[in-house]
This record gives sequence, C-alpha cells and structure tokens, in this order.
Amino acid sequence: MSEDKQKLINDAVEKALAGDADAVNNIEDRVTRAKAKAALVKAQREQPKKEDSNDDASKPDEKEPPVSNNTVQKVSASLAAKFPKSLDGEQNSDWIQLKPENWFEIAKWLKDNPDFYFDSLQCNTGFDLGEGLLESRYNFHSMKHLHCVEIRIRVSAEKPDIPSVESLWRVADWFERETYDMFGINFTGHSDLRRILLPEDWEGWPLRKDYEEQETYHGIVVPKVKEGWE
Amino acid sequence: MGLLENRFDDNVVVEKLDKLLSWARSTSPWFFQFGTACCAIEMMAAAASRHDLMRIGIIPRSSPRQADVMIVAGTVTMKMALRVKKLYEQMADPKYVVAMGSCATSGGPYWQHGYHVLKGVDLVIPVDVYVPGCPPRPEALIEGLLKLQEQILEGRPLTRKTG
Repeated sequence: MSEDKQKLINDAVEKALAGDADAVNNIEDRVTRAKAKAALVKAQREQPKKEDSNDDASKPDEKEPPVSNNTVQKVSASLAAKFPKSLDGEQNSDWIQLKPENWFEIAKWLKDNPDFYFDSLQCNTGFDLGEGLLESRYNFHSMKHLHCVEIRIRVSAEKPDIPSVESLWRVADWFERETYDMFGINFTGHSDLRRILLPEDWEGWPLRKDYEEQETYHGIVVPKVKEGWE
Repeated sequence: MGLLENRFDDNVVVEKLDKLLSWARSTSPWFFQFGTACCAIEMMAAAASRHDLMRIGIIPRSSPRQADVMIVAGTVTMKMALRVKKLYEQMADPKYVVAMGSCATSGGPYWQHGYHVLKGVDLVIPVDVYVPGCPPRPEALIEGLLKLQEQILEGRPLTRKTG
C-alpha cells in the first residue's frame, strides 16, 4: 500500500473517531474504504478498552463508603433532639461525647432505631485521660447500613460508673470486663463483672496512669531496681 | 580387680550402681512441655523431625506426672507463676528445670515495664539450665539439654552426702 493511501486511511479514521462518520464512507476507492473501515473498527475496539482501564483507576474513589462524619453528624443531631441533656460538651464531626447517665437508653435507641441500626459493637476500650478522668469508648457498626460511629463517655476516676450495655450486645460482656480489669471502670448492671485477664486477687488498675506495681504477689518478690534495659 | 577377675562371663560390664542410675536418667530425660509463649514454637521445632530430640532420648510429655524435665518455654505471668509452681510440685523426683528464653530466665523484654510478668522463673522454682535467646533456636535448646544431660550424668543419686 502506498503512503498516500495509508495517510488517507489514517486521516479518515481520526475524523471518524472524532465524530465525522462520513469521512470513511466518502473514500472513493472500494479497497481503501474497506481498509479504512477495518482500521476504524480496530481503533474503536482499542479506544473503549482505554476508557475501561481509566474507569478502573477512578472507581475506588467513586465507590468509597459515605464519609463517616455524615453519620456522626446525623446521629449527633438525632441524639440532640431525642436526648437533649445527654450530649457532653462541644460536639465534633468525628465522635459523639456523651454523659454516662442515660447511656443504656441511648444505646438501646441506637440499636433499635431503623435509621441507624447499630447491630454490631466492634470495640469497647478505656482511656485514662489524666487529671482524674477516665473514658470509655465504643465503636458501633451497622451491618445493614454499613456505617459506623464512635461514642465516648467520660467519667471521673472517683466514681467511674457507666451503665453496662451487655444485655444489648453480648460481645460487650468481655469487652466491659477487660475495660474493668485494666481501668476499674464500673459497668453498672453487668451480670458478671469480674477481672478477665489478671488474677482475681490482683490489686489496682494497671493501665491507669497512677498505677503502682505491688511489691509482692503471693510471696513472689517483684524486683524494684529495674535497670539495664535503657 | 583381684576380687572380680574371672568371676563373670564375657560381655559383662561392671560399674557402680550409682553411675548406672545417673547414666539411665541422663539418657532419657522426658520433658514436660510447658510452652507459654513464642519459645514454645522453637521447642516444638526442636522436638520435630529436623532437629529430632528423640535421638538423644528426649521425648515430650504432656503431663507433669510422666516428666523428668520441665522446659519453661516462654513468658511466665504472675497469674501463671502460681501454676508453674504447682505443676513443678506435681512432678515426680528426680526433676529438673530448663528455663528457655529471655522471659523465663529474667523477664526478658518485660523486665522494666511488664507489671504482670514474673522476672525469671527461678523466683518460684529451682532452675538447672538457663538457655538465653529471644527465642533461642532449637540448636540452642539442644545445647542446653546436652548440658543438662552432662549435669545429670555427674550426679550420684545413691551417694549420701556427709557433713
């Protein structure tokens, strides 16, 4: 094939791809026209593939789950309407800060409300914030709506009482026992609040900031001088 | 050898009963597998086919009643320390203890900040051989067990110490 014809075909295909369908049909020579059509089909076949691969790269961005902050704000707004006195201090878009008093009713509402339906308690853990403040944090997830929310409840170390949610989520049984074991947060209404990891007769709450190791345990001496690892 | 000469057939070895006993003990120290942490994996590897502890007469047992050696393989927490002591007491004499790994010898990485870790198993039971390492390789454990065998071989169970 001569270079002229090849150039003609290339130009026609480019035009056709840009939207001018007659560019190929108007080629007078039959053989050249057929070749141009074949080249156009080939080009068209390659083109969508490129678009597909572009789509794949861009898909994860589009399919990301709805930003969790929306859920937090939605739950926070509903909570403020239903339990106006339970929100603790200023709220933000990452978590919900609650007072311990109505926690059981709120938890039941969060679980049963069809809009939220938090049927899964994924984690409960404790924090010692210092200055005599302890905090229990709950991470809820909804299997139905695929959204999640974090609830934080702050209590004083002198009276660390938080209502237990063990009867709502069975998994809270051991979560709360662990938080009790490490921080001494008293989950009122828990059916079996014992230490879970440490022995029953252990003294103190080891993950609190003011924890001091006991000197002996059942006659076993705990060495006081601990140097050599720095 | 005047007294014993020509009194026995061929292929008879004459030796002190004391030495025979300690030889028998040293060649079959069955160990109580007491794996409490990652060292247990190395202990299992030592007992498995590649390193094959059985070729030096060492067999893992799962009960303290059937074991001569307790290999404390891993971190011993305060909660576990009481159980270690109880299980050691359940073993029949003669009994030996190998402390395997940093945790069992000294508390290891939990020396300074592990409020719940026993700082060395020798605080609750007497230890015969310490095997350092974190965790020690099976070769190190085998070396420790060979040392223990030497130690047992030197023992004289029937000789009463005087004074």
